[in-house]
Amino acid sequence: MARYGMVMDMRLCVGCQACMAACSMENQTPYWNGKFRTHVEDIEHGRYPNVRREMLPRLCMHCENTPCLSACPSGATYKTEDGIIRVNYDRCMGCYACSIACPYDARYPYDRKDVKTAEKLYGDDLSHQVPHVDKCSFCEHRVLEGRVPGCASTCPTNARIFGDLDDPESEVHQLSKTGKAKPLRPELGTSPKVFYIPA
Amino acid sequence: MSFEHQDVWHWQIATYLFLGGLGGATVAIGAMLHLFESCDRKIISAAVLSAIGFMVIGTIFLLADMLQPLKAIYALTNPRSWIFWGVVFINLYFLAAIAYVIPLLKSWPHLEPYINKIPQVILDLLERFNRMAALGGATAGFLVAIYTGLLISSAPAISFWNTPALPLLFVFSAFSTGAAFLLLLFTFSREDGSSNIVEKLEQLDAALIVTELIILGAYFNFAFFLPTGARESAAILFETPMFVIGFLGFGLLVPLLIETYSIFFARHARGSTALMVTAGSLVLVGGFLLRYYVLHAGVFQYPW
Repeated sequence: MARYGMVMDMRLCVGCQACMAACSMENQTPYWNGKFRTHVEDIEHGRYPNVRREMLPRLCMHCENTPCLSACPSGATYKTEDGIIRVNYDRCMGCYACSIACPYDARYPYDRKDVKTAEKLYGDDLSHQVPHVDKCSFCEHRVLEGRVPGCASTCPTNARIFGDLDDPESEVHQLSKTGKAKPLRPELGTSPKVFYIPA
Repeated sequence: MSFEHQDVWHWQIATYLFLGGLGGATVAIGAMLHLFESCDRKIISAAVLSAIGFMVIGTIFLLADMLQPLKAIYALTNPRSWIFWGVVFINLYFLAAIAYVIPLLKSWPHLEPYINKIPQVILDLLERFNRMAALGGATAGFLVAIYTGLLISSAPAISFWNTPALPLLFVFSAFSTGAAFLLLLFTFSREDGSSNIVEKLEQLDAALIVTELIILGAYFNFAFFLPTGARESAAILFETPMFVIGFLGFGLLVPLLIETYSIFFARHARGSTALMVTAGSLVLVGGFLLRYYVLHAGVFQYPW
């Protein structure tokens, strides 16, 4: 059993959004309606002329203490043995309790119209057959094959580092343990498994 | 930090929260009046039936807002979710309120043929345990009313909702709307003792509105002193005329003034009916506005 996590090196992210495109292709997210499992926030700091731009890639934090999992009444949101938070599309009733509970804006509705469009685009390869609330799965299907998630694999600057947080040899373990990489909003007690190296 | 309006729960959920609170509190107060005061059984039965209707309509709004309403059958899977408990409380409420209201419906002569279709054994049992069903309905009604607040106060990143004050505010507001609805119904009762009940309901509603004002004061004081999304939400509400004038003014202060006037001066003559109907209706509209604008002002505080 692993405990998968990701480290975002904000010094390296150039905001090219290749991660968003790769994720969308890998997971059939409704890009045609501007819905993605991962985003790159373009943040400006300061006031002219002393301004600084920062790129913050974000996705589901796969929290240890998971507010969305607690809020989900139907058990559609579940945690795998490897600590990945997933959604069972067939059990999701789309009540949005998880979206309201998530402090990281990681979820979006994959609604009836999105499913209709996806049916036309993907035909027999369709992976979202029913409406549900959708989110990042750390590309579990790839991880189980020994590959890294689509976003990390595509990132041209290697700003996304994926690995097992429990493996002392892994880069994600070392960066998170030394405190070089920190989670977002730790005060909420959600213990996210995505960490950030500040720019 | 960035603040963004929550954009998943809108007026449909506000309606559900409002009708859930109203339906729950109406049965809770109605059953207490029935148990501890001698009052018009016709009015109590009409109140309980309407309350069940409110709960049904509220539930329909909730289901209609879902992506897959038919999958609501799975809602009883995770006891850590407030929606799980909401489903439990609402089902208990329906069971207890229906069991409670059936014997009361005998006070409507034209409904008797329908009630007599129910097997006599069941009718006897319902009659025998009517007080217990009243107590069960009142408890479930209270639980539904407080659940509506607990549901939305459990969002950790919406700091205006994530406070212990919100469930309190919602439960007092729900009981105020319940008292106002009963007040409206009892205003039309022709029984002699009803003016006494109207007087009691006025006093109860006035006390509930005062408590609501105290909670609102503490709540906004807390929100304005925190450098978080709670302050942003409080500011949004104070810049919304329909919240300030509609809810605070016409939904709380005006009914409170009317009820205070009525308690001290009106002596419950026939002439005060119009005043009571006005106060009761304003409280009901105010109850909806509160929930609508609290949902609207829910802002996420994102770490970017």
